[in-house]
Amino acid sequence: MNEYIEFKNISKSFGKIEVLHNVSFSVKQGEVHALLGENGAGKSTLLNIFHGVYQDYSGEIFYNHQPIKFKSVFDANHHGIAKVHQEINLVNDLTVGENIALGQEDVKGIFVDRKKIDKKSNDILDELGCSFRSRTKVSSLTAGEKQMVLIAKALYSNANTISFDEPTAALSNNEIDHFFKTVEKLKAKGVTILYVSHRLNEIFKICDRVTVFLDGSYVNTFDAKTITKEKLIHSMVGRNVEMFAQRKMPKLYTNEVALKVENLNKPGIFSGIDFEVRRGEIFGLYGLVGSKRTDVVRAIFGAEEHVSGNIYIGGEKVNINSPYDAIKHGIGLVPEERKSQGFVKVFNNAENITLTDIGRYINKFLINDKKKNSSAVEYIKKLNVQPLDSKKMTATLSGGNQQKIVIAKWLHCNSEILILDEPTKGIDVGAKEEIYNLLEELVSQGKTVIIVSSELPEIIGLCDTVMVMSEGKQIKIVRDKFINEKEILKYALGGEFDE
Amino acid sequence: MSKVNQMMKNVLKKFTWNNIKQAMASREGLLIISIFIIVGVFTIIDSVYIMPRNIVNILEQSVVNGFLAVGITFAIVLAGIDLSIGSIYALSIVFVSKFLVGGMNPFLAIGLGILVGAIFGGFNGVLISKLKLQPFIATLGTMSIYRGIAYIVTNGNPVLGIPTEYRQILNSNTFGSIVPVSIFLLIAFVIFTQIVLKKTRPGTYIYSVGGNEESAFLSGIKIDRIKILGYAISGIGGAIAGMILLAQLGTGEPIAGSGAELNAIAATAIGGTSLAGGKGSPIAAFLGAILLSALKVGLIVAMVPTFWQYVATGAIIIVAASVEIIQKRLKSSTT
Repeated sequence: MNEYIEFKNISKSFGKIEVLHNVSFSVKQGEVHALLGENGAGKSTLLNIFHGVYQDYSGEIFYNHQPIKFKSVFDANHHGIAKVHQEINLVNDLTVGENIALGQEDVKGIFVDRKKIDKKSNDILDELGCSFRSRTKVSSLTAGEKQMVLIAKALYSNANTISFDEPTAALSNNEIDHFFKTVEKLKAKGVTILYVSHRLNEIFKICDRVTVFLDGSYVNTFDAKTITKEKLIHSMVGRNVEMFAQRKMPKLYTNEVALKVENLNKPGIFSGIDFEVRRGEIFGLYGLVGSKRTDVVRAIFGAEEHVSGNIYIGGEKVNINSPYDAIKHGIGLVPEERKSQGFVKVFNNAENITLTDIGRYINKFLINDKKKNSSAVEYIKKLNVQPLDSKKMTATLSGGNQQKIVIAKWLHCNSEILILDEPTKGIDVGAKEEIYNLLEELVSQGKTVIIVSSELPEIIGLCDTVMVMSEGKQIKIVRDKFINEKEILKYALGGEFDE
Repeated sequence: MSKVNQMMKNVLKKFTWNNIKQAMASREGLLIISIFIIVGVFTIIDSVYIMPRNIVNILEQSVVNGFLAVGITFAIVLAGIDLSIGSIYALSIVFVSKFLVGGMNPFLAIGLGILVGAIFGGFNGVLISKLKLQPFIATLGTMSIYRGIAYIVTNGNPVLGIPTEYRQILNSNTFGSIVPVSIFLLIAFVIFTQIVLKKTRPGTYIYSVGGNEESAFLSGIKIDRIKILGYAISGIGGAIAGMILLAQLGTGEPIAGSGAELNAIAATAIGGTSLAGGKGSPIAAFLGAILLSALKVGLIVAMVPTFWQYVATGAIIIVAASVEIIQKRLKSSTT
């Protein structure tokens, strides 16, 4: 077997933040090669570079000993390299055959040769063991069947290499079995497969080799048939001490329970969520892609529908059916998507900061703008927002400063329990540090902080208690000195077959 | 005398290029400048244009469209649209006509007319917020339903015999009996709605819901209520416009206001309100309505053939929309 795909010194940055550092490894022809790592380890970025989504990277890629650099996913397709996306994207209103042939239709004169397309598509569908036909409408298919359509599309274009990004995340158990069989068939045909997943059992089941990434760097490549789960997890950890967030004032929590969540369920999304957060505690919620952590905190904040379970604040049962209720009970949420959820783009800093509690500045129906602005300036100064300008449009600030405005909004309305979903996503190191310090200051004042994060250094460095989730289930609650990379990753990766 | 000179100098000092640029960088400033240019050009063509009587005529012609444009501004700021506003206009005409012909006190009839606007407008808001219908589709539907109701109530016939007492309330003249009182009513409505949008809690919430609904929701704002309120205000704008037309004409025409929603959208668009939501103001919509009628009257004065008037109106909408881009450049060059 030869070196079929070779990555040589690949580096890639988004703005100031480097997401891949000098990655080199190779993939053999006809193997199923897994890419493993935490969220943000760089797996998806590497695939996007390979498929021509990003062209501004450094380093070289060789495909069958030829240097390659594709201009687009479409361009890569022409060279026999296909991608089955994380989100399934098919045209729902077209038939299976039309989707399979889309962009590469066989023609007879000026007309699309439907007969030929149907015949070729049906042959491929038979080969993949699918029961639906070329003339079936895509809108009537399940998630697993749609994925088969994408694979059929790849085979229709004679792909030699197919990459999968979290292919089983949306599938039922039966569909997963069928998918594994399909992967075996592809392998038998000599197709090379790149396989991004964090489900260890899948990797052991269908992959030949596995390459581990950590914080955008290549760690090692292992033979999946011989390595143990223990060793694999061990290779995924091992950051230096200085990479972790540091607490200046550890253990500020009291015995008083600030928030208690009892048997929280949302059918089909998450179930059996049960935990307590103490006053003055920094509580972490960790989980990889598909763990549904964001759904859990949104449910607590009243932003999700069809949720059952009980929530107690300061020992009292409360009814939270909307963010309005949650805010009334002293909960604040800094949402995951800053730009689309965190602030109003057409508002300036003062307007965004005061939005949730504008009532404070109202005198006889009218807002006192002077008071509003001077109060906003206080928070802007306190959080060191640059520039120090309450009338600056929030949308024009840098990511870190925007995040400070979103946090200021909850300080302004005096939230007792502050939930932050990915508080430092896409933020530079300096602003990160400032946000960490601020969170410590909040708990030192007797407030309670819940952090949802994909970054282990953040979770491990800051949190007094960590709840690990996987696939919509609460796997384990880890406390104080038991909190370390290996322990948390073990539950996040292997939860489903450990229990 | 030297004091006056000094004052004049100070005033003139303020007319620096930079200040003009600053004025032009605000939509309202730009609109006022554009209106002056239009007035200037048509005055040069024919000095009749600048006669007080003609200026009053321009203002009077912009009253009905002004109320509609200010109303629809609320729907558009909410990232929506209110296609039914012309039908609500007709509904208020026929309901208020019926009330009046039935012998109701004119002031009570006006109050109920406003209520009619709020109810039918609010119903649009219910469809859009509770049933999650797209505003365009929801109000396209109610546009037809409301128009139908207007015909059903009157059996398709105009309502005659509107009492003079009512007509005098909304259509009398002041200032040497040349300036219609309706102009002042519109100005009062513009100031009131401007204060509501810019200075009150519901106004702030309307901008936030239009600017970013998800973020507003996560800030604890009751989105549904805000939408219902916004569309109710849009309906009120439509209803008042209808009542003023009724006072002007003296007959309650169920057919009135067909296509009026498009004129209102045009005035609002010229005023710079973005269909993407979160932006715009009643003052800008009002100035947009004045600009449109200044142009229309001007084209008549200049004896431009009718068909060309359509072309000119369309062109001004497109020019107004492209101005946004030029303004952005001015803004970045002054700061």
